Amino acid sequence: MTAALETVALGKRYGRQWALRDCTLSIPCGKVVGLVGPNGAGKSTLLHLAVGLLRPSAGTISVLGVRPGSGTDALARVGFLAQDSPAYARLTVAQHLRMGAWLNPSWDGPFATRRVRELGLVLGQRGATLSGGQRAQLALTLALAKRPELLVLDEPVAALDPLARREFLQTLMEIVVIRNVSVVLSSHLISDLERVCDHLVVLVGGGLALEGDVETLLRSHHRLVGPRKDTSAMPANQTVVEASDVDKQSTFIVRTDEPILDPTWTVSPLSLEDLVLAYMRRARDDAASIPAGLAVAR
Amino acid sequence: MIRFAWLQSRTQALTAAVLLGALAVVAAITGIQLSHLYSSFVASCHTGCELATTQFLSHDQFMDHALDLVALLAPALIGIFWGAPLLARELETGTYRLVWNQCVSRSRWLASKMAVVGLVSVSAATALTLTITWWYRALDRVGTNQYNVFDRRDIVPIAYAVFAFAAGALIGAVIRRTLPAMATTLGVYTFARIATTIWIRPHVLSPAHKTTAFNAGQVGITINGTANGPVAHIAAQGSGPPNSWTLSSHVVTNTGHVPTPAQLAAFAHQYCPGPGNTRIGGPHTCINQATKTFRLLVTYLPANKYWTLQWLESGIFLAAAIVATLGCYWWITRRIS
Repeated sequence: MTAALETVALGKRYGRQWALRDCTLSIPCGKVVGLVGPNGAGKSTLLHLAVGLLRPSAGTISVLGVRPGSGTDALARVGFLAQDSPAYARLTVAQHLRMGAWLNPSWDGPFATRRVRELGLVLGQRGATLSGGQRAQLALTLALAKRPELLVLDEPVAALDPLARREFLQTLMEIVVIRNVSVVLSSHLISDLERVCDHLVVLVGGGLALEGDVETLLRSHHRLVGPRKDTSAMPANQTVVEASDVDKQSTFIVRTDEPILDPTWTVSPLSLEDLVLAYMRRARDDAASIPAGLAVAR
Repeated sequence: MIRFAWLQSRTQALTAAVLLGALAVVAAITGIQLSHLYSSFVASCHTGCELATTQFLSHDQFMDHALDLVALLAPALIGIFWGAPLLARELETGTYRLVWNQCVSRSRWLASKMAVVGLVSVSAATALTLTITWWYRALDRVGTNQYNVFDRRDIVPIAYAVFAFAAGALIGAVIRRTLPAMATTLGVYTFARIATTIWIRPHVLSPAHKTTAFNAGQVGITINGTANGPVAHIAAQGSGPPNSWTLSSHVVTNTGHVPTPAQLAAFAHQYCPGPGNTRIGGPHTCINQATKTFRLLVTYLPANKYWTLQWLESGIFLAAAIVATLGCYWWITRRIS
């Protein structure tokens, strides 16, 4: 089975600045993948690489087994919802649908018309007068009606108010199930993704900080609270993601597939948000420590 | 994709068609009046036609000035309003991220947009220059050297418009912002036109020469007192045959050579005595003697080279438009990634 998204040592550079570097991951089909990271982490860059808007500066990327941007075949199989859901200001909703019908051989006209009607969009309304939520819904309709195998959404809810956010993600999930598409969507808010994703990719500062199945990740991470201890005293099968000490007490976030046997620990599960934040902090601290390390080496 | 490109541009195309149609109607009404005037007063006039000609030329000064301005500005407007926003607006508003994910390659997207709006531009420019050239045909025959209105008649305005459109598109793709692209397009187009007029147009065809006598009214002499006595600078204004383009005129000796400083000093010493540093014009021995001593060499482009020059200049601008179009292709498919 081909992967929905597969990258090997993928990197993208703008001038001298690397927006994404050394990113290797493989995401199977049929997943809803959340791409999380702070602003400027390289999320948009990765997604633009995936839909062929950008070309890699290093490494390789393949989407559904094809190099993105290699032709109209690759375009036909991927639906893309760009950040801020751009729409033509002077074209009406109906004209946007006509564009989709003209430009996509596998266009599902009845679906598009039905969905636009269900959403209550006025066919004669121009793009300029649509609200952010309406634009996002129109863009999602356009992306779905071309019958893609993979749907890529770049911060689809960032510009929406909380209600529209919830509604958008809900309709997205319903449709994903009905139309059987794989999804990659990005957000800088984990709370947006928590409800909908079954796979997670965390980017920090252009590098991959964490990747994995949400359930597995949650199952294998624990918060340990107990008497003060050094990280080096931990068993080899427990990887400490984050450690913090307060007075005589240590709090560790560890990753392990084995049960925690040490009775001195109070073990509690982690929320997805805590987990992601721990990895983000670690990636940030690692990045900050590199220049210092270099200075010592000299 | 052609249909979508047309959907995007049809409003501006139809607006332009309506404006051009209105202009054509006004031009037709006033133009027919003009040609009627021409055939009944100017063409049939045999003696003492000065008054009839003057009245004919100043009959419709409003349309004369208005159409002249339209002819001058139209290509620039096409570049600014159709060329520059063509790609810049898509890149600025982010809609390229929408349309580039439809099942259309970037090159086909670009080719369709350029073809549709380019064709609209060519049609508009052609209709306009036909209207304008037709309206002026009688006036041009009577009162104007064809080379004076070279850039506002016949085919060159079409080539200017095509160039302005393609250059605008490229500038828009590079700058990616509509308003700055429009301003830059105006600047680049104006520079290209001025540069061509000054540095290229006078030199693309080999000119003709003629050496003639000249009369006292055409000449001005400046005497400069130097340590070796007075030296004369003789400036004379000559012109080529009717409807030709006078490129330059020089005073030469009877043998056809540019006079040496020694010859000019000898001339001044002999015929133009008096205090140093004077400027002499009008009836004067010095002037009269100059007309006898020297001749006038006029370099000009003959009237029959007009169409060759029209095609040549059109070719230059079309070639530049092709280069700009290839630049768009390269920029859109290679640089924006």
